[in-house]
Amino acid sequence: MARYAMVTDLTKCVACQACTVACNAEWGVPAGYARTRVRSTPISGTFPHLASGVYVAQCNQCDRPPCVEACPSGATSQGANGIVEVDKSLCIGCGFCLDACPYDARYINPVTKKVDKCDFCLARLERGAEPACVTTCTAHAKYFGDLEDRHSDVFKMVYAMGARRMETSRVRVGPNVYYAGEQARADLVMAAFPPRPPRLLAAGEAWSRVLKPLVLAAVGATFVGQAVAFFNQLRNGEKDFED
Amino acid sequence: MRTDAVPVRPLPLTSEQAEAMLQRHVKKHHIAIILLHWFNALVWGSELLTGLALISSPLFRVAPSWYISLVEGIFGSRANVLQIHVALGLSWIGVYLVYGIFGFRTYLSREVLQHEIALDRDDVRWLIVRTQRILGWTSEPLPPQGIYNAGQKLFAFLVYTMIPVVMASGVVMAFRLFGTQVVGWAVVVHFGAAGLVVSGLMIHVYMGAVFPEEKPAFFSMITGTVNELYAYSHHFKWWTIVKAEEGVWDRQHDDETGHPADIAGPTEPVRPE
Ligand code: SF4
Ligand code: SF4
Repeated sequence: MARYAMVTDLTKCVACQACTVACNAEWGVPAGYARTRVRSTPISGTFPHLASGVYVAQCNQCDRPPCVEACPSGATSQGANGIVEVDKSLCIGCGFCLDACPYDARYINPVTKKVDKCDFCLARLERGAEPACVTTCTAHAKYFGDLEDRHSDVFKMVYAMGARRMETSRVRVGPNVYYAGEQARADLVMAAFPPRPPRLLAAGEAWSRVLKPLVLAAVGATFVGQAVAFFNQLRNGEKDFED
Repeated sequence: MRTDAVPVRPLPLTSEQAEAMLQRHVKKHHIAIILLHWFNALVWGSELLTGLALISSPLFRVAPSWYISLVEGIFGSRANVLQIHVALGLSWIGVYLVYGIFGFRTYLSREVLQHEIALDRDDVRWLIVRTQRILGWTSEPLPPQGIYNAGQKLFAFLVYTMIPVVMASGVVMAFRLFGTQVVGWAVVVHFGAAGLVVSGLMIHVYMGAVFPEEKPAFFSMITGTVNELYAYSHHFKWWTIVKAEEGVWDRQHDDETGHPADIAGPTEPVRPE
């Protein structure tokens, strides 16, 4: 099975947004929303030594995706190829996954009220095409391939040229979108757009920490009570009601 | 038996009296209620079985994963399980709407609810004694009860309050109303309300189907009637009402025949609606 990964070369990216446009068109993303976004860091340093970076962000198809754990309905799941998918027929739009994702890679479609996000263009992959953003990138800054294939571009960029994951010491969920290019640019981007620790909405907290144990305890206690009653009944034998 | 002659506390019966009462049937449930009860039971059963299989995250799920795969296997896919769960839930709401609109005065008026869910002093005492008796700690007789005993009243209260909660939160999820925050809480509320009902439901099913003393109550949900001895010994306060009404009925007959009615009374007494 393949282990898909994407590499974006931050030195090559010219922030033209062609990838965002191609993606929006491919997937009918409503205006104001995006599966992939290009963001620029604020300019830093003093003239003439100014620096700025570009961040091309999307779902990272993480190795340990917190969004999958947070999704109560099982709509979000991870395939054997590592791609994290959203089954629209199961999504109830609870938003638990939005808060869980450290990269804010998901949005709720305002029309269907269901979640949508990048899935490496799974439908295109299945018919042998590359993701729309990779095909469209005007600067050839994006690479897509299989990390298990030693001859793939992504393999070389990740294992030989040191393309890096956008991880911090606090957030390590194993993203599979890697960033190549000058170290200084990547550092700027990481400083400006660090992943945040996964959160669980208050409702989710209440459910998993309070309600679930409570309901299990109530049902369990009732069950034990009835078991006791039932054994008493067996021991005393069946009496008719008119005692 | 005359109205003024109906005893206020259950008296010991002679064996002939008991035998005669055992043979007579008193109407307890209207056919509409019986149908609604079993429809409700069917819906709760299926919704619980499918609902359990719909919560799959390890953070939230309560059913083991083999159960979830089993249910998915039976219905073909998870999406089918969800669709059936929602479709059944919506039809259930539909049936309740019809019942609520046409039966509002008969089933949901203040007096009826007071009758069916408000606990009186005897009821509170009954709950204590009933529990102690089941556990074998006492053989004290149970305090007299109305048409529903205190356990049934508590369960009815739980069900009457939780059904709208389950329905509303279900609709919010099915149509993803009011934004993610509300839907997120609806999932939690839906689960909690159903969980509460399940703990009550377990007692309800046990008392109805397994517990020997309440067997007539179980069959009354099929035939609509209970034998008079059961009414006398388990729902004494209701029995006195039934008898009082019979008394009125009998007295009219007394006038015609000149004979006082005996304790036996007519075989098909009318139940207060
Ligand atoms: S980037 Fe976010 S949405 Fe994508 S797999 Fe990771 S946690 Fe999930
Ligand atoms: S909103 Fe996210 S967490 Fe909720 S059901 Fe949809 S995919 Fe799962």
